[in-house]
Amino acid sequence: MTRISGKYLAKRIVVSYLTLLVIMSLLFVLLRSMPGSFITSMISSGMTNEQIQQIRETWGLNEPLWRQYIDFMINYQTGNFGRSPTYNAPVADLMIRRMPRTLVLFGATFLIGFIIGPLVGMYLGWWRGSKKDKSIFSTSLLLYSMPSFWISWLFIWVFNYELGWLPSAYMFTQFPEFQWTAFTVMRDVLYHIALPIMSLTFIGWVGSMLIMRPTMNQVTDEGYVFLAHAKGLSERTVMIKHAARNALIPVATGAVVGLAFLIDGSIIIENVFNWPGMGQIIVTSVLNRDFPVAQATFFLLAVLVVIMRLVTDVVYTYLDPRIKFGEGE
Amino acid sequence: MATGQGDTESDGESYTRRWEPRLERLKRGWSRYSEHNIGILGLVILGIFSLWAVVPGVFAPHSTDWVAYLGEPPIESRLTAEQVRSLPHPPAFGDPFFAPLGTNANGNGILSLVIYSASNAMYIGLAAGLLSSLVGVPLGLISGFYGDTWIDEAIQRFVDIMYGLPFLPFLIVLVAIRGITTTNIIIGIAVTSWLNNCITIRGETLSLKERSYVESAKVAGASDTRIIFRHIMPNVLPISFVFLAQDAAGAVITQASLAYLGLADFTANSWGIMLENIKSQGYIFDAWWWLLPPGIALMLMAASFYFIGFSMEDVTNPQR
Repeated sequence: MTRISGKYLAKRIVVSYLTLLVIMSLLFVLLRSMPGSFITSMISSGMTNEQIQQIRETWGLNEPLWRQYIDFMINYQTGNFGRSPTYNAPVADLMIRRMPRTLVLFGATFLIGFIIGPLVGMYLGWWRGSKKDKSIFSTSLLLYSMPSFWISWLFIWVFNYELGWLPSAYMFTQFPEFQWTAFTVMRDVLYHIALPIMSLTFIGWVGSMLIMRPTMNQVTDEGYVFLAHAKGLSERTVMIKHAARNALIPVATGAVVGLAFLIDGSIIIENVFNWPGMGQIIVTSVLNRDFPVAQATFFLLAVLVVIMRLVTDVVYTYLDPRIKFGEGE
Repeated sequence: MATGQGDTESDGESYTRRWEPRLERLKRGWSRYSEHNIGILGLVILGIFSLWAVVPGVFAPHSTDWVAYLGEPPIESRLTAEQVRSLPHPPAFGDPFFAPLGTNANGNGILSLVIYSASNAMYIGLAAGLLSSLVGVPLGLISGFYGDTWIDEAIQRFVDIMYGLPFLPFLIVLVAIRGITTTNIIIGIAVTSWLNNCITIRGETLSLKERSYVESAKVAGASDTRIIFRHIMPNVLPISFVFLAQDAAGAVITQASLAYLGLADFTANSWGIMLENIKSQGYIFDAWWWLLPPGIALMLMAASFYFIGFSMEDVTNPQR
C-alpha cells in the first residue's frame, strides 16, 4: 500500500537533515552578529579585568569564533544544548519544560483551525458568488486582518475584565485553593488555555479557508461531481463526499504555511497571555542576547517545520493516489 | 509593460493598434473586478487612507503635537495636576476642548494621531510588498524556467531553509542586527515574506514554459533572459499583484506585532506604536477610545489590501 518508495523517503530525510544543518549555521552567524552579548548584564562596574575575563572564560567566549561554531554543531548532534546564562540552568531542561506547553497550544489551535477552516471553505467554495459567500468571506478577511495581540486584548477585556469568566494570564492558578490532582490540574489548564486558543483560532482558521475555497470552487466543475449529481445524490452528499475530499489536497500542503503562521501567532499570543512556552522565551532570549536559549528554540521550531514538511508529503500521497513520489527516478 | 520595443512604425495608427487591445483588456478586467463589492470597498478604503497619508492636515482636527487644554505648540504653560489626572480624556466635543476620539495619556488627540499615522502604515505596506515581489517573482521565474536543474534545486532548498526559520523571531534578529528603523523593518519583512511568492510563481512558470509561444520564441532564437522576462513574466504579473497585495497586508500587521514587542522606530507615528503605548502605560481596559481606533485602522488597512488582492485573483483566474 505504500506509495512512497523507501529510496525517496531516505533521500528526503537526508535533505531535511542537511537543511537543518544549514539553518543551524545561519542561526549561529545571525545571532553572533547581533550587537551586545549576554555577559554585559553580568559585569558590574566594580569588576576587575581578570574577573571579566573569567566570566568570558566560563561561558566559552574567549575561544575563537570558528571553534565556538564547531563546538556548537557537534554539541547539537549529541543533544547537548548547553547552559543558559540568564536562567542559569541547562537549556535542555528549559526546553523540555516549555516545549509541551507550546505544543498543547499549537496542537489545539491547529486542530480547531483545520476543522473549521476547510468546513467553511467547503461551504463558501460550493456556493461561490452567493450572498452568503460574499458576506462570510469578507467578514473572515476582516478577521484575518486583525493584529493578534489586539484581538487578544479585546477578548481579555470582554471575558476577563468585564465578565470575569476566564483568566487572562499564566498556565495555572497562581495560588490555588484546590488539591493538586490530575483532574484539577487538567481543569485548571483548560480554564487558562481557553482565551489564548480562542484568540489564536479566531484569526487562524481563515488561512486554511482561503486555500479550501478556490480549490472547492474548481472541483465543482469536474466530471465526477456532475456524475454524482446525475446519480441523484443529494447536494450535501455530493458536496461533502465527492467534492470536498478532492479539494482537501492543497489544504494538506498548505498546512506547512499554516504552521508558520501559527508559530508567529503563538509567539505574540504567548507574550500577551504570559503563557510560559517557547514563543515567550524566544523573544526574551533574543532581546537578552541569551544565545544558547535562542539557538535551541529556533532549532526546535525549525525541526518542527522540517518534520511537518516531510509529513505533509506523505499525507499528500495518501489523499491523492495519483501522486507518486520517487518512481521513475 | 512592453512599450520600449524597437518598432520601426511609430505613427498614430500603429499607436492605436498597439494600445487598443490593451485598453480593451483593461476594461474587461475592470468590469470583472468591479463585480466584487469587496474589491470596490477595498479601493475606497485604500483611497481614504491614501488621502490621509498625503494630506493629513486637511482631515486631522489638530497636529500631532497638540496637547489637550493647552492647544497647538508653541506651548508655554503646563498642565495643572487636575488636568493631568483627567488624561487620557474620553471623547470631547468643545468642552473643555475638541477631540472627537479623546486623548492619550500625554494629551495628544487620538484622531489626529490615527490620521497622521496612515502614511507610515501605507509606506511600510507598499514598500515591503513591492520589495518582496521584487525578490520573489524573479526567483520564482528563474526557478520555474530552469525546473529540475541545479538552479531550481538550489533556489528551492534555499526556500526550504527560509521556511525553517520562524518568521517573527528571525525578523527580530534581523532588526536587532541592523538597528530599529522603519527602513530596516521593511527590509526585514521583505526578506521573510517573499517565499510564498516565489513558490507560486515557480509553479505557474513550470506550466507556462510548456506553452507553444515559449517554444516558438525559443526556435526564433530568443535568449533565456528574453523568454523569461519578455514572454513569461507578463503572464505571471497579475498573480504577483495578488501576492503584492497580500504581502502588503501582512507587512502592516507584522509591523504592528513588532511594535507590540517593543521593536519600532518610536520617533515615527504609527498605529502599532499607539497600541504599544497603551500597553506600556497600562490603559488597555480603561480607554476604549484609545484602544479601538488604531486597531480598527490597522484592520481596515490590511483588509483593504486583502480585498483588492482577492478581487484581483478573480480577474486573473481564467476559470469560471
